[in-house]
Amino acid sequence: MNFELTEEQNLIRDMVRSFAEAEVAPSARSRDEEEVFDRALMYDRLGELGLTGIVFPEEYGGAGADYISYAIAVEELSRVCGSTGVTLSAHLSLCANPIYMFGTEAQKQKFLVPLAKGEKLGAFGLTEPSAGSDAGGTKTTATKDGNDWILNGSKIFITNAGEAEIYVVLARSDKSAEKHRGISAYIVEKGTPGFSFGKKEAKMGIRSSPTMELVFENCRIPGDNLLGQEGQGFKVAMKTLDGGRIGIAAQALGIAQGALDAAIAYTKEREQFNKAIATFQGVQFQLADMATQVEAARLLIYNAAYRASAGLSYSQESAMAKLFASETAMRVTTQSVQLHGGYGYTREFPVERMMRDAKITEIYEGTSEIQRVVIGAALTK
Amino acid sequence: MKILICIKQVPDMESKFKINGEGNWYDRTDLAWRMNEYDEYAVEQAVRLKEQVGDADLTVLCIGPDQVKETMKKALAMGCDRGVQIGDNDAHKREPIEIAAMIAGFAKDKNFDIIFTGMQSQDRGSAQVGVMVAEMLAIPAVTTIVGFSFDNGAVKVKRELEGGSKALVSTTTPVLLTCQLGLNTPRYPTLPNIMKAKKKELLTLAPDTGGVCASQETAAFYFPERKGSGIVLEGDVSDLADKLIQLLKEKTGVLA
Repeated sequence: MNFELTEEQNLIRDMVRSFAEAEVAPSARSRDEEEVFDRALMYDRLGELGLTGIVFPEEYGGAGADYISYAIAVEELSRVCGSTGVTLSAHLSLCANPIYMFGTEAQKQKFLVPLAKGEKLGAFGLTEPSAGSDAGGTKTTATKDGNDWILNGSKIFITNAGEAEIYVVLARSDKSAEKHRGISAYIVEKGTPGFSFGKKEAKMGIRSSPTMELVFENCRIPGDNLLGQEGQGFKVAMKTLDGGRIGIAAQALGIAQGALDAAIAYTKEREQFNKAIATFQGVQFQLADMATQVEAARLLIYNAAYRASAGLSYSQESAMAKLFASETAMRVTTQSVQLHGGYGYTREFPVERMMRDAKITEIYEGTSEIQRVVIGAALTK
Repeated sequence: MKILICIKQVPDMESKFKINGEGNWYDRTDLAWRMNEYDEYAVEQAVRLKEQVGDADLTVLCIGPDQVKETMKKALAMGCDRGVQIGDNDAHKREPIEIAAMIAGFAKDKNFDIIFTGMQSQDRGSAQVGVMVAEMLAIPAVTTIVGFSFDNGAVKVKRELEGGSKALVSTTTPVLLTCQLGLNTPRYPTLPNIMKAKKKELLTLAPDTGGVCASQETAAFYFPERKGSGIVLEGDVSDLADKLIQLLKEKTGVLA
């Protein structure tokens, strides 16, 4: 057993960190305040650096790297900007990956290759107003018409929506089938007649990542865009979310690491009672707890990522990683704000943004409660 | 066209340095390592030259223990074609002439058209290795370049001189060039290229100084003593100006 990163993984961390600090960090505050998605920076540059298809084989436009490398990339981006981290995670884990796992060769050539190369951005439509944690409650319908499918309904809280060119969307294709069995997955391209975007959400955090509603009104898509088998959509969604949890866990880890780094730097500078506050044991104990939790989260994530790359089961491990990392992110960012005192509550310092960004990691791609359901079910089955 | 790029692995300059047990160098444990900044400009310029001429073979050379391979992988990921490590666990103790002799010993029968290297290392900072290699190979050297062009076999470089002045130098090949800040902005190694670097040739050779022996020795390595605190002047602005002029006259040569 070896806990050391490989030379390639170290080089990837160095590269992404240099890029994130030099190019992503400087605008993180203004993009958050203005709620701007800067595609040239937050996606096109990632494509140029080969980050948009990290885990896919070269023949599909990817880099042929492993899931630990992917986790490292999301972590390093999120360390300076949670919005940029989730842009990559949603694109890769939730759109490109189900097409890689379940797509036909023709679908991979048509959709996965441009996604992996960073020429097109991906998104995933599962959540509906009345189907969040209960994905089986999907009400969006897909009706067969000749060789085509006609979609009707809406999806909410969709990351990358509006900006993305390719969407993997879940819809009920068989109303008579049992709840989970009647759902299928489809690939829908932006610009398809009948497919439009609803309101843009005004959010607490990750404000530079666009979140919108998808609206389908008699949206006709070709039969070739069915992803996986008819009725297999629930399985597609669950397998997709297993991978997605590694991405969101890595995003949470990056946010936590950024807040920890900020807390260490600040407490070493800030003087009270004629001493740097980092010299006080009460402060050191807090930093020690924060660092320990961050490191534990990292090891849970790398373990889940290792299992994903090795072809082992990782559903339970990725749920544990996501649960622990997201709750760590919330605790560590909150504590970092506390250590910054009044300054931490101002927008002059990045930790208030990190605290707002951290909260969503406990909610999306399976709430902390759903992660406990997944882990608990695996333990007691 | 054959190009050699000589790089060095140095500690990240943000590291907290400690003095080693012998008191003659820094302690090498618990440091983060990276490519010498000036050597990154050398790698970048070589890769750009290859992109310009198409037909070029880039060998990156590094001297040191096995850990330098990670830094070499970065150069390979940036676009070098092959790597040569001179495996030497004592490289950090060697003086510039020994390092230069090892590089020249490797390069002497390889007919490199251009050798790029950094103008100095960030840790030892002797700025001697490049020019010594050129001397040993009996080829011209142009130092501290901040501009480079290659056209039909002719090399034109811009040198940075003292006081901000510049010089334009034309030279034929073979030539050795030492690279200075401002020459270019090194690229990020892309992820696919990092993965491909794994498959590139990386040869390890035994250290051979060809009989050149060290004649210098670093006697001590130390941090400068902390200076006493400065003088804080207080009072009215007009009084302050007078006090400042008086101090500058008494304690410095700034005002006569």
